[in-house]
Amino acid sequence: MNRLNLLNTGLVLALASAGCATAAPPPDLVSARMSYNKAQHGDAAKINPADLYTAQKAIESAEQSFAKNGDTRETRDLAYVADRRAQIAESRAHATQATQRQQDTLSGMQADQTMQVKDTSAQLGRANQKLALQGQAMQNQTQQLEAERVAREAAEKRAAQAAADLAKFASVKQEARGMVITLSGGVLFTSAKSDLLPSAQVKLNSVAEALTQQDPDSKIVVEGHTDSQGGESYNQDLSQRRAQAVRDYLVSRGIAADRVTSQGFGYSRSIADNKSAEGRANNRRVEIVVQPKTTPTN
Amino acid sequence: MKTLSVTILATLLLALGCAGNYPAPTQAMADVQSADRSANELGAQNNPKAQLHLKLAEDQLKQAKTAMENDDNRAAERLLTRAKADAELAIALTREDQARVEEAKAVNQADAQRATNVAQGAVR
Repeated sequence: MNRLNLLNTGLVLALASAGCATAAPPPDLVSARMSYNKAQHGDAAKINPADLYTAQKAIESAEQSFAKNGDTRETRDLAYVADRRAQIAESRAHATQATQRQQDTLSGMQADQTMQVKDTSAQLGRANQKLALQGQAMQNQTQQLEAERVAREAAEKRAAQAAADLAKFASVKQEARGMVITLSGGVLFTSAKSDLLPSAQVKLNSVAEALTQQDPDSKIVVEGHTDSQGGESYNQDLSQRRAQAVRDYLVSRGIAADRVTSQGFGYSRSIADNKSAEGRANNRRVEIVVQPKTTPTN
Repeated sequence: MKTLSVTILATLLLALGCAGNYPAPTQAMADVQSADRSANELGAQNNPKAQLHLKLAEDQLKQAKTAMENDDNRAAERLLTRAKADAELAIALTREDQARVEEAKAVNQADAQRATNVAQGAVR
């Protein structure tokens, strides 16, 4: 191809110089030579060889006419056409190139977009996965909260029930030394005995239930009290044994042994007149004191 | 005198005969008209680079028609050859410009898309 072009250029130059020998080339031929030269060394040679060949043939005809006949009308017409043919070859080459670049740009854009969609899909996948995990965690949390709520409600119900049960046979008071549950001695024991009555056990179950609702760190003291009938040491001993019986029963019902102690007071802490039967009945009692937790001082 | 008249007559007849014998370039005329229509349809008349060649083509086409009306078919043919080259060049230049416009559009489109992607958090 290059050799052919070189040959052609040589031919054109030879013809041109032949023309020059006789007369100056017409302006149309000068233009045609310039246009062809531009096309030949431009993009047309690579992109559009077919049109460049047509232009080559046209300029060869013009040069031959000029060499043979000089600056004739025919020479000018042929040069005029050759000039256009060279320009057409170059213009079409440029158009092809522009279209190629357009296609490349569009393809690149499409590739970018495809990649973008792929990336976005991957991101979406990861986000969905995360969301699903979060949803699962949230569901677990909700279930846990619901279980806790049900448990709390049940505990509150039990506590309320225990308190209600307790109120039937015991008095519950808040005092400076803590919450005091007072059970009448007659409810728990037969006279002068320290064995718990079967009915007492049911009642103490309610007490134990109520105690489990309290702060597990609080200390519990079971206090035995008697009336003044009988000797002091006898009553001291009886009150101690009764307090111990209640304490042991409570421990058997699930109160931690190290939380609960017992103490007998005999009739030293009477709360009513021992002269009347009613007063004595009130004095025969077991008090369960739930001590508020002592906050450690700094 | 008589000889002179015969010579003039013979010369006239010869000249007329030549003109009359040269075929009318009707096909070339149709080709140029067709190319001219195409150039106009493409919008060559509005293209700064192409409009000169469109005008040259149309002027020469007009001259060719006149030449044919005057039975100068030879002149008509060479005018049509020139007109055809101009009309085709007008078409080529217009198409080249259009291809460049399309290319620029694609580049702008790609830039806009890239900007949109970046705005939407594209990593690339």
